Amino acid sequence: VVWIYHKSQKADEYLREIKEQGLLAEAVRQCVEAAGHEQEAETQKTLLRVKPLVCTSIKNLAHSLFSLSISVSAASFGKCFLSNFPPELFVIMCRDLRVLNAVRDYTVGIPLTHTQFKQMTVQVLIDRLVYRKLYPLAIEICRYLKTPEYQGVSRVLKHWACCKVQQKEESDEVIARTISLKLGEAAGISYSEIATKAYECGRTELAIKLLEFEPRSGEQVPLLLKMKRSQLALSKAIESGDTDLVYTVVTYLKNEMNRGDFFMTLRNQPVALSLYRQFCKHQEQDTLKDLFNQDDDHQELGNFYVKASYKEKRLEARVAHLQSAVDEYNKAKNEFAAKTTEEEMRLLRFQKKLEEEKGESLVGFSLHDTLRTLLAVGLHKHAEQLYKDFKVPDKRFWWLKLTALAEKEDWEELEKFAKSKKSPIGYLPFVEVCVKHHNKYEAKKYVSRVTPEQKVKAHLAVGDMEGAADAAIERRNEGEISTILSRCSPTTDRALVERLNRAKSTAAKK
Amino acid sequence: MAQSGRRDAPELPDFSLLKRLARDQLIYLLEQLPGRKDLFIDADLMSPLDRIANVTTLKQHEVDKLYKVELKPIVSTADQLCFLIRPRIQTVKWISVNLDKAAGRLRRYKIIFTPQKLPEFFRENFLEGDQRWVGAAGGALRLIHSLYGPFSKVYGIGQCAKMVYESWREQVEDGEQKTQQPEIGNVFLIDRDVDFITPLCSQVVYEGLVDDIFRIKCGSVEFGPEVTSSDKSIKVMLNSQDKVFNEIRNEHFSNVFGFLSQKARNLQTAYDKRRGMDIQQMKAFVSEELKGLKQEHRLLSLHIGASECIMKKKTKQDFQELLKTEHSLLEGFEVRECVSFIEEHINRQISMIDSLRLLCLLSLTENGDNCLFALVQSYGIEHLLTFSNLKQMGLLVEQQPGETLTVMESKVGKLVNDKTAGKLTDAFSSLAKKSNFRALSKRLVLIPKSGEEYDLRVPRDMAYIFSGAYVPLSCKLIEQVLERDGWTGLEEITRMLNGHEFAVSADSQRIVLVMFLGGCTYSEISALRFLGRERGYKFIVVTTAITNSGRLLEALLDNHP
Repeated sequence: VVWIYHKSQKADEYLREIKEQGLLAEAVRQCVEAAGHEQEAETQKTLLRVKPLVCTSIKNLAHSLFSLSISVSAASFGKCFLSNFPPELFVIMCRDLRVLNAVRDYTVGIPLTHTQFKQMTVQVLIDRLVYRKLYPLAIEICRYLKTPEYQGVSRVLKHWACCKVQQKEESDEVIARTISLKLGEAAGISYSEIATKAYECGRTELAIKLLEFEPRSGEQVPLLLKMKRSQLALSKAIESGDTDLVYTVVTYLKNEMNRGDFFMTLRNQPVALSLYRQFCKHQEQDTLKDLFNQDDDHQELGNFYVKASYKEKRLEARVAHLQSAVDEYNKAKNEFAAKTTEEEMRLLRFQKKLEEEKGESLVGFSLHDTLRTLLAVGLHKHAEQLYKDFKVPDKRFWWLKLTALAEKEDWEELEKFAKSKKSPIGYLPFVEVCVKHHNKYEAKKYVSRVTPEQKVKAHLAVGDMEGAADAAIERRNEGEISTILSRCSPTTDRALVERLNRAKSTAAKK
Repeated sequence: MAQSGRRDAPELPDFSLLKRLARDQLIYLLEQLPGRKDLFIDADLMSPLDRIANVTTLKQHEVDKLYKVELKPIVSTADQLCFLIRPRIQTVKWISVNLDKAAGRLRRYKIIFTPQKLPEFFRENFLEGDQRWVGAAGGALRLIHSLYGPFSKVYGIGQCAKMVYESWREQVEDGEQKTQQPEIGNVFLIDRDVDFITPLCSQVVYEGLVDDIFRIKCGSVEFGPEVTSSDKSIKVMLNSQDKVFNEIRNEHFSNVFGFLSQKARNLQTAYDKRRGMDIQQMKAFVSEELKGLKQEHRLLSLHIGASECIMKKKTKQDFQELLKTEHSLLEGFEVRECVSFIEEHINRQISMIDSLRLLCLLSLTENGDNCLFALVQSYGIEHLLTFSNLKQMGLLVEQQPGETLTVMESKVGKLVNDKTAGKLTDAFSSLAKKSNFRALSKRLVLIPKSGEEYDLRVPRDMAYIFSGAYVPLSCKLIEQVLERDGWTGLEEITRMLNGHEFAVSADSQRIVLVMFLGGCTYSEISALRFLGRERGYKFIVVTTAITNSGRLLEALLDNHP
């Protein structure tokens, strides 16, 4: 085919011959490949020219390779002898050759063959250039081959910067500025890596300056820690909003610093402090106490001791914790909490004593539950004493005793209780509680003692419609009459319905 | 019932995308541990997992056996173990202990942490000041933004809202800008502590009631034997695909029975069509309609069962009085009666959570209370710590007898000298929150005029979700800001709410994403749906968790188990 090109007079003839044998495509391919193995630029060109000659359809593509100074004018020579030869092979070869020619230049001196180049890949070639500090050429090649920025230009620039930071003769400022100017907006540049390099070369100040350019504050943290700039690392971690990172720094600080300094550092960083507190709550209760102590947070200390008391099995230990809690609450001027805690201590002692005397398991119950248990097992006297000692409100005690006795179905005791003095909660609850425990017979006993306002309700509760009607009519209360009417069935309670309706109309007239 | 609303209301974006995304991500993670493996899942991730991948999907990706994480020794004999857990220290410790035990065996492990749907957010963020979750919430926003954005307007109120917004902005700037047609235009971020009143009120809208009583978990609820009237429990997905539920979810409970019985009659009519059919018609009926009818029948009987169960619990005298007390507190009416009702409630030990709830409501709407002592005596000293939590959150304010505002102020003055800046803001915020509700409610007209008849079947405003007694503060704020296109004119109100409001905007859009940081209730969602129907918006609610009064307070309990 080469021959065809040179001896153009007979070209047409030969071309046709080759084409008839179906070998034209193969011939072109061989030419392109042969160009790859040729060291001489001129010969490469000759070989490559064959392609445009026979394949005008790729004229445009070839044109883009102007820089290789491959003449495309000769393309006019041939008509379209071969229309479907894939252009990629040709284009890639041209590009490869240009790269190879560039590195084969005596100033660079890497005499690679095309096969070697294909074997080692562009990446490796770039690496070699970087090792030889031929940064501009490496960048040119990356740009020419359109290597993605992240693997190409940015990577070279990073290497350049890492090299730059080792130039001892230049000042930190100059280097930092040069690097930031050159790297500018290049995608995927990790300033933290460059800073790491600077730090490894013993240039901590430069490293810190470089880190300032790092847009992701998270990336700055590990190096800052390595450089023992822990305070700065903590602020950067908080700035990043990444709480895992904050935890990383906090854990690091905890191991590195003495306790006092560590706490002081946290104190100035509320976000970190609250995160650390969270951690301590789950993992280190004692540290939590120290933290509160340092802050003189007596309220939290009080809460801490109360919580600690839950965990103690022995009464003495429990009471001791509670006493500490009382002291703290007093310091916090939280009278309510202090008083409540004192009462709890008193209750615990009472429970313990009773437990020993009566063998009834009580320790740890709330006051209410203690009372209920005592009433349930019939220790009425003790319940009474507890009620007085702890100034339980009358109403509450009455409700409590009422429900406790009803649950036990101790109707006799309940009646005695009801008669003991005037009920502060009235007698409707007695009726309702008895009904709830399916004892209408007992319930009825209390209906008569219910106040007039609640009488209708009481009668209805025990299912006494007549009684309810009497009460409502007596009070001439329209609303109550309607309530009863709504509960009557028109068939069975006919007479009653009539009576109520009459009363309702008179009540309405009034 | 389920009103069609305004015609110009926009279509909702396709959210199945999120589900697919989550599933693909899970599969990707599972594939990173190639080969057969056993999968251990945190108990509270079971329901969320159900929503994105079924057992077949897991088997396809070579998951052999599924285990619930129970913190017991691992019995699996598999060579590869995969853990899907929430990032909790306890769980990770458990895993590491078990790693030691398997020493000498060649085993491969993979741990997948899930930060999403943050159930602990409320307590950890608002009470413990733990900001770990802000980034996760920001990440969720970024995901939604990248799929359905770009957002043209972002409003927010609350400190956490602001931080989430900033975290999201930061994450977006890292990535590329996009130019697609936005599906979600407006975003509203709101902190739970801006409005504690609403979630503390008893819910009376169907979906909220179901949540209060049966507890909806991750969109599905387990109805026990009392509802199914058999000895089995049935798990039901509650979403718009359940046609019966879809029509009653936002309704006031008083309307639900009427609707259900109407529905039952319709169903009967549909069944009755069979009579007089010839064989061809019958064939068509069986193959086309019958299945749908049967399905509807099944759902209908479940919801009727649930409603009966709710009725039994809620129509009792006690509940009516409870509601009356809540409404009186909101109105600031007959407060003395309310206090004695609360006292009796405690005396009778009806329910600790309810007692606490009422106390908090009293404290938020009025000034302090003096029932605390009674509560501790009744329920144990552990609750001393619970109170301390509630106080810190501003949910409870202790009232010293005769204490006035000036006394409070002098106390605050003293705190300044204590150099404890944190406490100072606490004191200020509790001071601010303490007496603000009345003023807020007046300015925003949260309490509809009493005396007027409120027809719950034809609601006229969002108050219907509380029987016409109260418009939820959170939703009212959203309404106002959308209407005014920002916070202008609401300065006084944001001051009372402790500020941190912000608005960033370009063009207006009718699809609004509302993100509740710290949870929202079903009632609030119902209210927003109502608002959307009225004003032609479509609301998308994103929340760190579904909450209700029970969950909210349980999160703040500090009793020892």
